[in-house]
Amino acid sequence: MDSDALRREADAFCRYLVDAPPPDALIERYVRANDVLLTEAPSPGDQAVIDFACAHPRSIAMLDAGTALSGKAPLFRKKLLVMMAIVETTPAFVGQTEPRNASLPGLAARLGLSAARMAVNVAAGLALSTAIARRRRG
Amino acid sequence: MAEVDVIVVGSGPSAVNAAYPLVEAGLRVTMLDVGNRDTTYEETIPEGPFSELRRTDEQQHRYLLGESFEGIAFGHAGAGAQLTPPRQYVARDAERLLPIVSGSFFPLQSLAEGGLGGGWGAGSPQFCEADLDGFPIRLTDLQPHYEAVAARIGISGAHDDLVPFLGDLQAMQPAVAIDSNGESILRRYQKRRAAANQAGLFLGHPRLAMLSQPLRGRSPTRYWDMDFWSDAGKSIYRPRWTVDELRGFPGFRFVGRRLVQSFTETADGGVIVAARDLDSGRIEELRARAVVLAAGTLGTARIVLRSFQLYGRRIPLVCNPHTYVAMLNANSLGKDARDARHSMAQLCVVHAPDGAQRRFTVGHVYSYRSLLLFRLMKYSPLPFREGMEMLRLLSPSFSVLILQHEDRPSPDKYCALARAGDGGEDRLEVEYALSPSDRAQHDAVETAVLRGLLRLRCVTLRRLHEGNAASTHFAGTFPMSEAPARDDDLTTDKHGRLRRARNVYIADGSVFPSLPSKGLTFTMMANADRIGCHLRTVLRPGSR
Ligand SMILES: Cc1cc2nc3c(=O)[nH]c(=O)nc-3n(C[C@H](O)[C@H](O)[C@H](O)COP(=O)(O)OP(=O)(O)OC[C@H]3O[C@@H](n4cnc5c(N)ncnc54)[C@H](O)[C@@H]3O)c2cc1C
Repeated sequence: MDSDALRREADAFCRYLVDAPPPDALIERYVRANDVLLTEAPSPGDQAVIDFACAHPRSIAMLDAGTALSGKAPLFRKKLLVMMAIVETTPAFVGQTEPRNASLPGLAARLGLSAARMAVNVAAGLALSTAIARRRRG
Repeated sequence: MAEVDVIVVGSGPSAVNAAYPLVEAGLRVTMLDVGNRDTTYEETIPEGPFSELRRTDEQQHRYLLGESFEGIAFGHAGAGAQLTPPRQYVARDAERLLPIVSGSFFPLQSLAEGGLGGGWGAGSPQFCEADLDGFPIRLTDLQPHYEAVAARIGISGAHDDLVPFLGDLQAMQPAVAIDSNGESILRRYQKRRAAANQAGLFLGHPRLAMLSQPLRGRSPTRYWDMDFWSDAGKSIYRPRWTVDELRGFPGFRFVGRRLVQSFTETADGGVIVAARDLDSGRIEELRARAVVLAAGTLGTARIVLRSFQLYGRRIPLVCNPHTYVAMLNANSLGKDARDARHSMAQLCVVHAPDGAQRRFTVGHVYSYRSLLLFRLMKYSPLPFREGMEMLRLLSPSFSVLILQHEDRPSPDKYCALARAGDGGEDRLEVEYALSPSDRAQHDAVETAVLRGLLRLRCVTLRRLHEGNAASTHFAGTFPMSEAPARDDDLTTDKHGRLRRARNVYIADGSVFPSLPSKGLTFTMMANADRIGCHLRTVLRPGSR
């Protein structure tokens, strides 16, 4: 796949996961991982979601939530997983990825917040991915 | 052709423990093995605790994800799920050189120095009398060899509620410490012990081939949580440590890069072993007074069937069915988790409604720490950002229960050798199917165990059956029996001697007629030591 496109993906996905741009080394690692692991050609549906995500990075949270539930766009999710693996093994991001302790009330509050955000994103994401699919077909 | 006393095939847990008493008695022993080693990662992993390396080592991706990102690999992980990139050498070349044809059985095999023992989980319970039902040996036959192997490899454990189920050892080291997640479950169990026991549930420390005290130049565990990645300190037993010890004896020779093909017996009682040199492609012949086959159950099956040209002949195969259960341990929610921990099983769970006199079910509880969160996300239907946040909060309270069920031979579980058509390797064809009544029985046991654990506040999230071969506990192909030999009898006598041959012994899982619900490896090592001790008295009368 075109490595400029992969670099754009790396930038967008890293910002989505940890709110920070990836250092150059991480971008190169992401490109290499894609070359090794994700050799299959994307389905048109997958490609449309990936293109939309890179063009509108703010939509990634919604698309991720929508496709997690619908199971559509499996390549998009594999790419997010690759970036998560890369981010998780980078010391600069350890504060955002390592297991954390929390008191019971803190745990309940954080889980509640995540669940609420997720619910909103799932609803928006399902609508958005349907719209992307419709636009591609029509 | 020069002759040695014994050729041992393989260098896994069974091979090295069969070789040890022979070599120690001064016999000349040659070990033939492919002997793959990790040439990529061993040197790149710094020494230090996992949590510290995560924070400081810029190169961690090289071993945590792998140089070719093999640690991320998509698709079915199966039995290799525990094999992190630094452990994957254990399975290298096996698919190519030991091909399996099956629609129902996808085993992990090894051509490594140390065999599958290079990546095993070190769970080391003893068999008890009920487990040996159908074996021609009793616990008293094995006990001295459990002690000898425990002193050689190091077994740690506790004298707790599980002694009637896991056995007792004089040579046992004190138990290694349980992590905070496991501790909270054990505390809960201790408070509700009477009710749990009445329901047939018992909990305690696992028996582990992991050191809590120094042994033979190896260090006790440092609680660095690096056990899935590195062998620094050598606290977990790997058969390679015994190969290194054996190399110090003058009578021992390790010959690597040899794929053993077959054996033939000569009129004067010797045995000739044919092995392919994997570098030159040439077949070499070596001669010995006796041969010990310990190429792993499936590897040994190939060699025996090929030696007797028994292509197409079906032989039995057993393998513990495994169930993985992801659980949330509510006892540890909201509590701080300690970083200092080891990575192996934290607790052992026994379900024994009829006590230790009847067969019972054993499981091990792991915590989920050093295998990284992204692996969990592979199986999760959550979006990554929120999923990661939730896993960060909940993973210190995750537990994974691995339950294994007993297995007995049946006409639906067998393997047979098929001749290679194209100059390639002979293929082992395997069929393995559990009966509906087996499945119903497993389901009933699992339901009872999970109900018991729920009372200890461990909530089941998901039950997973990873496929028939997931346990990698293979056995039963050339079972030991008391039965008198028939001409074509592919069984072994109580000393592991193949009845169809005079001086060919089998020391791996092949000789176990059935498998109780326990890891077989410690018992296999004890049995291999027993066979080695017997063989040295045959070859050197007067030695004990
Ligand atoms: C991830 C994992 C976790 C495990 N955890 C546990 C556990 O906690 N407890 C437990 O009891 N068991 C466990 N096991 C199973 C355990 O590793 C095996 O039971 C054990 O290694 C089998 O030992 P073996 O000596 O019979 O054969 P193997 O370990 O399979 O070794 C076979 C040896 O034979 C050699 N060989 C094979 N064919 C040939 C040939 N034709 N010519 C020359 N050499 C050959 C190989 O190179 C190798 O050295 C685990 C296994 C895995 C993979």
